Amino acid sequence: MVKYVLRRLLGMIPMLFLVSVVVFFLAKAMPGDSLRGEIDPTNTNPEYIAEMQEKLGYNDPVYVQYWNWVTSFVQGDFGKSTRYKMPVSDLLLEKIPNTVFLALTALIITYILAFAMGMYSGRKPYTIGDNLIAGFNYTGLAIPSFVAGVFAVYFFAFKLHWFPFAGSVDIEVQNGTIDYWMSRIHHVMLPAFILGLFSTASYTQFLRNDLIENSRKDFVRTARAKGTPIGKIYNVHILRNSIIPLVTFLGFDIASLMSGAVITEKIFSYPGIGLLFLDSVNNRDYPTVMAITMMLSALVLVGNLIADILYGVVDPRIRLG
Amino acid sequence: MKRKSMLWLFAMILVLSAFLAACGGDKASDDKSGDSKGDGKATETEDSGPQQGGTLTYALDAVPEGLFSFAFYGIATDAEIIDFFDEGLIKYDENLEPIPNYAEWETEDNQHFTFKFKEGVKWHNGEELTVNDWVFALETLASPDYDGPRYANVETVEGAPEFREGKADSISGLKVIDDYTIEVTFDAPRLNNLTNLWTYPMPAKEFEGIEVKDMSGSDAVRKNPVGVGPFKVEKIVPGESVELVKNEDYWNGDVNLDKIIVRIIDNSATVGALQNGEVDMVAIQPVSGPEVEKLDNVEIVTAPGLSYYYVGFKLGKFDNKQQKIVEENPKYQDVKLRQAMAHAINRQEWIDAFFFGYGKPINKPVPSAHWISADDSEVTGYDYDPEKAKKLLDEAGYKDVDGDGFREDPKGEKFSVKFSHYATGNPTFESRATALTQYWEEVGLKSELEMVEVNLYYDMIEKDDPSIETFFGGWSTGADPDPTPTWASDQIWNYPRYNNPEADELLKKALSVEEIGDDKDKRKQVYAEWQKIVTDDVPMIFIAELDELYAVSDKVGGFTVDVAGTNNPSEWYKKEGK
Amino acid sequence: MTTNAATGPAKNREKSLSPWAIARRKFMKNKLAMISTAFLFIVIILSLLAPTLAPHLSPIPDVAKVNISKMNIAPNGDHLLGTDKSGRDVLTRLLYGGRISLLVGASATALVIFIGTLVGSIAGFFGGAVDSMLMRFTDFVLNFPFLVFVIVLNTILFGIVDGLWVLIGVIGFLSWGGVARIVRSKVLAEKENEYVLAAISIGCSPAKVIVKHLLPNVMSTIIVQATLLFASLIIAESGLSYLGFGVPQEIPSWGNMLAYANEPDVLQGKPWMWMPPALAITLTILSINFIGEGLKDALNPKSLR
Repeated sequence: MVKYVLRRLLGMIPMLFLVSVVVFFLAKAMPGDSLRGEIDPTNTNPEYIAEMQEKLGYNDPVYVQYWNWVTSFVQGDFGKSTRYKMPVSDLLLEKIPNTVFLALTALIITYILAFAMGMYSGRKPYTIGDNLIAGFNYTGLAIPSFVAGVFAVYFFAFKLHWFPFAGSVDIEVQNGTIDYWMSRIHHVMLPAFILGLFSTASYTQFLRNDLIENSRKDFVRTARAKGTPIGKIYNVHILRNSIIPLVTFLGFDIASLMSGAVITEKIFSYPGIGLLFLDSVNNRDYPTVMAITMMLSALVLVGNLIADILYGVVDPRIRLG
Repeated sequence: MKRKSMLWLFAMILVLSAFLAACGGDKASDDKSGDSKGDGKATETEDSGPQQGGTLTYALDAVPEGLFSFAFYGIATDAEIIDFFDEGLIKYDENLEPIPNYAEWETEDNQHFTFKFKEGVKWHNGEELTVNDWVFALETLASPDYDGPRYANVETVEGAPEFREGKADSISGLKVIDDYTIEVTFDAPRLNNLTNLWTYPMPAKEFEGIEVKDMSGSDAVRKNPVGVGPFKVEKIVPGESVELVKNEDYWNGDVNLDKIIVRIIDNSATVGALQNGEVDMVAIQPVSGPEVEKLDNVEIVTAPGLSYYYVGFKLGKFDNKQQKIVEENPKYQDVKLRQAMAHAINRQEWIDAFFFGYGKPINKPVPSAHWISADDSEVTGYDYDPEKAKKLLDEAGYKDVDGDGFREDPKGEKFSVKFSHYATGNPTFESRATALTQYWEEVGLKSELEMVEVNLYYDMIEKDDPSIETFFGGWSTGADPDPTPTWASDQIWNYPRYNNPEADELLKKALSVEEIGDDKDKRKQVYAEWQKIVTDDVPMIFIAELDELYAVSDKVGGFTVDVAGTNNPSEWYKKEGK
Repeated sequence: MTTNAATGPAKNREKSLSPWAIARRKFMKNKLAMISTAFLFIVIILSLLAPTLAPHLSPIPDVAKVNISKMNIAPNGDHLLGTDKSGRDVLTRLLYGGRISLLVGASATALVIFIGTLVGSIAGFFGGAVDSMLMRFTDFVLNFPFLVFVIVLNTILFGIVDGLWVLIGVIGFLSWGGVARIVRSKVLAEKENEYVLAAISIGCSPAKVIVKHLLPNVMSTIIVQATLLFASLIIAESGLSYLGFGVPQEIPSWGNMLAYANEPDVLQGKPWMWMPPALAITLTILSINFIGEGLKDALNPKSLR
C-alpha cells in the first residue's frame, strides 16, 4: 500500500511540472500590461519604463523567468499581488478559511441530506416519497448550479427572508462570539447547499440504488431469517456496504467543491478563493491568478490521488494494477 | 519628464481604477485625491444640534486594497477610509481654493513658500507632528525605491530629481527652520505649485527602520496606520471591515461620534442594509439611486462631481519618445463631422435613461463645479439637434449616394463610425454604448460598436491602437485647475491627440506668473478662452457630468458634502432616540 | 443531435430487427425521453425561426436596438415577457439567445467528440507507446480545473479572435479528455474481435480499419456521450456568460441574459428579466439529460425494456 501511494505521489511530480509550465505561459500571454502595478503608473518616461523592465527581470530569457518563478513558488513565495500590494500567500491565507468553511459545510450538508433521502428512498422504493426524492435528484443533477443559486437567492433570501443573500457574516457581531459563529453558519448554509446540490443528488441516487440492490442479497436474507429487526439490518448491515463506495468519492469532492466555489461564491458574494480568483482575473493580478490556478490544479491532482488511494483501500485489486 | 499637475493625473488614475473596481455597477469616480474636508456649505436643515456618542456604520461597496496611507494608496476606496483618520496640511474650500488646515503658508513669488505648522497637533501614537514628518514624506515620495504613484507631486521641488537619482542626500528645496517652520523652494515660479505639492506628512516615528521599498507592505501602512485625523484606526479585518474610534486628542475641536465602523458590503446588499439600518451611510452609484430613493429612512445627499464622460475622437498619433503628436488620422479631421456627431446625441435622454437623472449634460472640458469652468454662454454648446446634424453632414459632403440609408464619405465611399467602449461584467455598458451609436445612425451615419475588455481598453487608447477610432471615456479633475496633463499636445494623456497650438499657448499663459500673476479673474478668463477653442474644435463630445451621491440614514446628523468632499467627520453625529 | 433514432417513423416490423431498430423501438417506448425529444425539438425550431417568429410575437423584434423609452417594462400584452434594462424585448432575446446557446453547445460538442474520438481511437488502436503517450496527455488535460482554465484562456484570446469561436474552441479543447478515455477503452475491447484482426491481416490501412470497422461499433457509446456532453456544454456556455467570461456581451445568449441577475434590483424586483432564460436553460438541460438516459437504455442491449 505504501509503495502504491509513493508511486502515485511520484507520478504527480511531472504532472505538476507540466501544469506549472502551462500556468506560467498562460500568465505571460494574458493581455494588459504585465508591468502595471509594479511601476509608477504616472511615469511614462520611456527610459524609466525600460529601466524598470530590466530591474524586474522582464528582459531575461523566458526560461530564466520561469525558473525564478517556479523556484520561489516551491518555497512558498507566490509573489506580490499587483492589486493588493501584499504577498499573494497572505492574501490566500485570508480567503482560504472562508472557502474551506464553505466547502466543509457543503460536504456535511451533502452527506446528511444524501443519507436521509437515500435511506428513505432505498427502504421505501416506488412510494410517493421516493418519487419526490427522485424528482429532486433529477432537478439537482440537471439544473446548473448558477441557475439554482439565482433561484435560491430569489426565493429563500428575497422572498422568504430565511437566509441572507450575500456576505459571510453579519455586520455588527463581535469576532469570536457565539453570535459570530451563528451568523457565519447562517450565511454559509444557502451557498453550501447550492454548492453541494449536485453531489447530494448523485449520492442520494447512488445510495438508493445500492440499498435496493443490497437488500436482495443473501446476507440480508440470512439476517432476516435469524430474526434481526429490519431497522438494524438496514442501519448496520446494508448501510455499511453502501457507504464504502461513497467514501471513495470524497477525493473527487475536494477538487470539485473548490472549483465549484468559483460560481457559488460569485452568486452569493461570498468572500473566498473563488471570488478572489474572478476579481484577480478582472484586475489582471497575475501573481494571484497564477497562484490560485496552481493551487486548484494541485488540488485536483491531490483529490484524484486521495480517491485512488481510498479506492485502493476498499478494493485491493486496484493496487496491483 | 515634463512637469505635470498631479491632481489631474491621480484623479484620472482613480477614475480608471473606479471603472475597474465597479464591475458590478457603474461608478463615475470617487475623486478624493485633492480633497479635504470643506467647512460644510450645503447644510441640511438643522435639528436639535450635535450630540455626543454613538457608532456610525459606513459602508464601502468595493474591497480596499489595504494601502491605508495617502502616500501609497491606489484606489479611491482606500482613500475613503484614510480620510477618517488622516488629514493634510491644507484643505480646499467649496471653490476648490486651497485654505489652511493645520499649516499656513506665505509666498511672494510663487516659487518660495514658507509653511508654518500649528503647534500641538498630535499623531495618534502620541508623537507631535512637526515639519520633519512632512520632509520625511516628501523624501519618501522622491526616493528611487518608492513604489507609489506620487513622485510627480514632489518633482517640482528644487533638488528632488537629484535626490531621486542619488546625487544628493536630501532635497535641497526643503529648508527646515524649526519644528514648525519650513521653507519650500520650487524649481520655477508657477501658479499651481502649491496645489501640485504633496501636503500629507507621514508619521516618521512609525516608519522608523522600514526601507522605502518595504513601506507599502509594512504594518505601518496596512495594519496599524497612524494619522492626525478625528478618528483612530482600532482594528482592520482585511477585506471585511475597519473599526475607527474617536481621537480624544484631536487638534481641531471635539469629535461627536465614539466610533465609526467601515464595513465592506457588496453592492447587492447595500440597499437592504440601508433599509434595515445596518448601514448609516454609503457613497452610492447613480444606478442604485432609484432603489435608495424608495427607502423612507434614508436620504440621498448629492454634490456636484468633478468627473465627466466623453466620446473622444482619435485625431492623431503620439510618439512617447519625442513627447509629441507625430501623425494625423484623416478619418475624423472634418470638424463639421465631429460637430454633427455631437448634435446628434440626445444627452439628456441618455443621462436620464442610464444615470437616472443624477447628472447633467456637460458642454466644456472642465466640470461646471470647478472655479475655472466657463459659463455655458462662453463656449460652443452642442444641443440635441438632429436636423442641424444632418445639415452639417450634408455641407461636409457626407451624403447617401448609394441609397442604402446611410451616408457615404465625401469621396462617395462607404463610411462607418467605429465606436469603442470598455466591457466589464456589467451589461448596461453595452446598452448605453449601443444607445450612443443609435443616435448617429439616426442622422444617417452607419456605426459599429466594439466592446473592449476594460484592462486592454485604456492601454489601447494610450498607445493609439489603430482599432480605436472614437472612444468612450471618463475622467475627473482634482483641485488643481491646470488642464495641461490631459489636454496639451505634448502629453500622453491627451487621448484624442488634440493638437491646436493656440490652445496650448493659452494653457501656458494661464500658468505664467509674469502675465497673470495672482489675478484669479484674469486666469479664469484665459481658461474660458481655452474652453471656447476646445469646444469649437470638438476633439471630444462632452457627454455628462455626474453627481456624487451619498445615501445617509435619518439617524445621522451634521453631514454635508460639497464639491471638495464631505465635511469633517468629527462633525457628524448620531441622533438620539433613533 | 446526429442520429435521429427518435424522430424517424417506425418502419414495418421485420422479422429480425437490426440493433438500431431495436434501439429505436425501445427509445420510442420511453415516454419521458419522447416528451423531452419533442420539447427539445420545439426549442430548436423556435430558436432557428427566431427572425421569422419575433416580429409576430413582439412589437420590437430587433435584438440589438436599445429603446430608451421602453426600458424595464414588466410583462404585458405587448411584451409578453417584458423588456430588459436596455428596452429590448425579453421574448425576442430569448429566441435569439437560444440560437447562440444551442449553437455554442452543439459546436463545442462536435469539437469535443471529434478530438476525443480521434485521440481515443488512435490510442486504443495502436496501443503501446502511442497509447501511453496520448493517455498521459489526456490525463494532463483532465487534470486542469475546467472553469479556471476556461476563464484564463478566454481572457487571453478574447479580442484576438472573434469571441464566440474563442469560447467554442476553448471549451472544446479542455473537455475532450473524458470522451477520449471512453473511446479508447471501447476500441481496445473491440479490436480483439476476429473481424478486426481479419481486416488488418488483409492489409487494410489503420485509418480504414478505425473508420470502417471500429468506429461504427463504438458509435452507440459516442452518441450517448455526445448527448450528455451537449447538456454540460450548454451549461458551460451559460455559466461562463453568467460570470462575464463567456459569449461577448453584445451577443444575446441565455447566459448573457441571466447575467442581469447579477444586479440585485433585477434579481429581486425584475424577475421577468432573468427567469425566462433561467427556465429555458434548466428545461433544455433536463430534456437533454432525459434523452441521454433514454438513449443509454435503448442502446444498451442488456437493458430490460
